[in-house]
Amino acid sequence: MSITEGKYAASMDMWPLQGKKFTRIYPFFDNLKEGRLTTTKCKDCGTLSFPPRGVICPECLSENLEWVDLPTKGTALSVTYEEVGVPIGFETPLVHAMVDLGGVLTLFSRIKDCPMGALKVGDEVKLVVFPVDPQPFDGKKGEDNVIQRVFFCFEKA
Amino acid sequence: MRNVCIIAGGQNLWGVRQATQRDMIQEAGKACFNDNPAVTNKDIDGFIVGACHTERCSFQTHLAPQAAECLGIKPVNLCCRVELLCATGSTGIILADAMIRSGKADVVMVVGVEKLYMPQRWEIPFSELGTCDHEFDCTNGMGLPPPAFATVAQQHMKLYGTTEEQLAMVAVKNRRNGLNNKNGQMQKAITLEEAMSSRIIVRPLKLTDCCPVTDGGAAVILACEEKAKDLTDKPLVYIRGTAQATQHQMSANFNNGIWSTWDTLRIAGEQAYKHARVTPQDIDVAQTHDCFTISEIVEMEELGFCKKGEGGPFVQAGKNDFGGQVAVNTDGGLLSCGHPFGGTGLRQGIEIMHQLRGDAVKQVEGARIGLTHNLSGLISAHTVLIYGRDME
Repeated sequence: MSITEGKYAASMDMWPLQGKKFTRIYPFFDNLKEGRLTTTKCKDCGTLSFPPRGVICPECLSENLEWVDLPTKGTALSVTYEEVGVPIGFETPLVHAMVDLGGVLTLFSRIKDCPMGALKVGDEVKLVVFPVDPQPFDGKKGEDNVIQRVFFCFEKA
Repeated sequence: MRNVCIIAGGQNLWGVRQATQRDMIQEAGKACFNDNPAVTNKDIDGFIVGACHTERCSFQTHLAPQAAECLGIKPVNLCCRVELLCATGSTGIILADAMIRSGKADVVMVVGVEKLYMPQRWEIPFSELGTCDHEFDCTNGMGLPPPAFATVAQQHMKLYGTTEEQLAMVAVKNRRNGLNNKNGQMQKAITLEEAMSSRIIVRPLKLTDCCPVTDGGAAVILACEEKAKDLTDKPLVYIRGTAQATQHQMSANFNNGIWSTWDTLRIAGEQAYKHARVTPQDIDVAQTHDCFTISEIVEMEELGFCKKGEGGPFVQAGKNDFGGQVAVNTDGGLLSCGHPFGGTGLRQGIEIMHQLRGDAVKQVEGARIGLTHNLSGLISAHTVLIYGRDME
């Protein structure tokens, strides 16, 4: 668009804001960059939250949270292949599986690079971390004003 | 507490519309006033507008005053917007009912609208990436929800033996019911063979198992019983009970992965039945949220029309059709009418109003008690309303 040419619009950006400057769950993304899938656990009531919480435990409202590692391998409990109508930026088929992370958590996640029929119920899947568009911001003079970002899904083990 | 009646309702043509959000607010409002000439824009003292993607697709916040302005309404009580994705319209009715019941307002209009089609179609599924948990579900491509409902269907088939034919029968029935609905998006009947051979979207869901993407609007007017008696010469239709329950947002927090059981709907249904002092067996006509064919099957179970797991045979036996136990989606439902999020719950209420007044396009003879149900998000919130020709 002429008036916004060359500008980055976070309001048209499908990836989450990342970096300490913009989100209180920045450790989630920092940990992802190290290949770790993490979330927050309440040190008072023991509740494990997903998605991770930046401020309080939704169960007991305690602010006493810690970051814990989740398994990076799991089992596909169900698999779906979306053959048409997938959002821009995603390939067809867009594959989703319900993934059991060792009984700790059940995630409904995308399965990357999965042709029709390649993943079946009962198959093992593993975490995959990939880079997404960097996030520019209004910084101070001389400051590196781009945040490198990642996101995650799973792939067949 | 006062009794509340629905005294007018109307909708515009739903589908891919050559009209803006603002145009459709006027179309829906006009249709509503046309339904009951005894009530005018000057009678409205409270105003609620329902719209989900107004900021995204129409770049417009502070929509309620704009919508009221479009319809010549100057509310002296509340004027606000409500949003609960697919259940936006029925949530507006719940709030209007509560305002009137408590004495906060006397005559409230609820307008629901959704403008989704942009000049380039790719924007629709992109905008939908704001509907589930944006950061953790939508970034995995979960916006429009066919994969979630395909998972429901897979589990239901595995646990209870539900078949693809039974799914298709829901589509065939609802398309048949919507055939003469002049405001519907599809208005085309299909055979079981056509449904079974339609294009796969996400197995086991085929094209005809999924409701379309829709532009559209609808509007209703609610009034306290005393005002209603003056403002309509048609039979009074009462709002007897309203309920809504919510238990999660993100997929990771949905019933430990058992998606074919919708406890949240059971809770909302039980609350609505209790408030209305009726049982599932008392319901003559229902509009339930058939965003996908599997949804209607699960809803028959969780609303108590049949036992858990028997939704498939219930549909196969025609018990959710005219002449059956309870006529469901008598105007065609989402599968035939389409599904503009802000409008759907209102469309359902309008159809129940017509059924209980006895002037529906496809009438359930002698209907006295009706029900509407919306689910919203990743099957995370359920909204149930019960209407009656009388309060007892």
